[in-house]
Amino acid sequence: MPEAIEIQLKKGVLGLCVLALLSRADSYSYEIASKLARAVDMGEGTIYPLMRRMQSDGLVETYFEESSTGPARKYYRLTDQGRASLETQLAEWRSFTSAVEAVVGKIGVPLESAGETEHDA
Amino acid sequence: MTRDEFLKRLGRGLAGMQPDAIAEITSDYTDHFIAASADGRSEAEVAEALGDPGRLARELKLEAGIKRWEEGRSPSAAWSAVIAFLGLGAIDILILLPVLLPMIGVIIGFYAAMFGLFVAGGAIMITWPFNAFPGGPAAALLCGLGMMVAAIAIAALITIVSIVLVNALMWFGRLHYKVLQPAIEPETARSAMS
Repeated sequence: MPEAIEIQLKKGVLGLCVLALLSRADSYSYEIASKLARAVDMGEGTIYPLMRRMQSDGLVETYFEESSTGPARKYYRLTDQGRASLETQLAEWRSFTSAVEAVVGKIGVPLESAGETEHDA
Repeated sequence: MTRDEFLKRLGRGLAGMQPDAIAEITSDYTDHFIAASADGRSEAEVAEALGDPGRLARELKLEAGIKRWEEGRSPSAAWSAVIAFLGLGAIDILILLPVLLPMIGVIIGFYAAMFGLFVAGGAIMITWPFNAFPGGPAAALLCGLGMMVAAIAIAALITIVSIVLVNALMWFGRLHYKVLQPAIEPETARSAMS
């Protein structure tokens, strides 16, 4: 099920991306959605269940601020717990990607030289 | 799809949730449309980018159900969590149905049986002076008391089993819509967070 795995991966990473984005600056959900959906290639709508869940888990909190273009906007900012979670997830992400890279990064090299002698999946 | 149509479909999917939660979700998506139109995007384009409103509603509902269940392990919270879980309607959940429904039936049946046992035990204890219980009053008292205690003990065990079962269902449901934790090692991420 490569598709299911891909979706799970992207969704998992999405939470990490939102935390990272908010650690730079507070943001409102449309901005988060449009920035991340394009980058991670997820439906923009999925950001809302995610934000609600992060809020109920105490990772982010909201406040309203007047906007120049329309009604007051709901802004999200990281809580201390959210910051701690970002650190943890980031460490996990880094160790995971470097572990994968250590395996995947070597693929190109032996393929050209060794060719068909590789049989493992 | 227009904005009104999207919100209508979303609202239909959210039916049954707390009214203030529905209002909040609806206003979130309405704000999204407003911000997007300020960005120069058409309603149809935005609705397309948001994704299927029915699917979003199912995800929001399951999250609300899990939250309620985590806040208080009451029978009604368990019930709404299970309903939200079944509402996901995913193929593998439908495959689970023939196993799940009899299990729910058996659990309810057990509760009913234990309630009956408890009442019967009480009846034996209370009515022994009026009936010639074999072995005499003391035996009747002990037998009745034993039945009541056994009923309570077994009901407590069933409750533990039910809680574990609902927890397992929620875990499985979240696999479908896992959004917060990284897909790899969900358990460690979750414990690090709480």
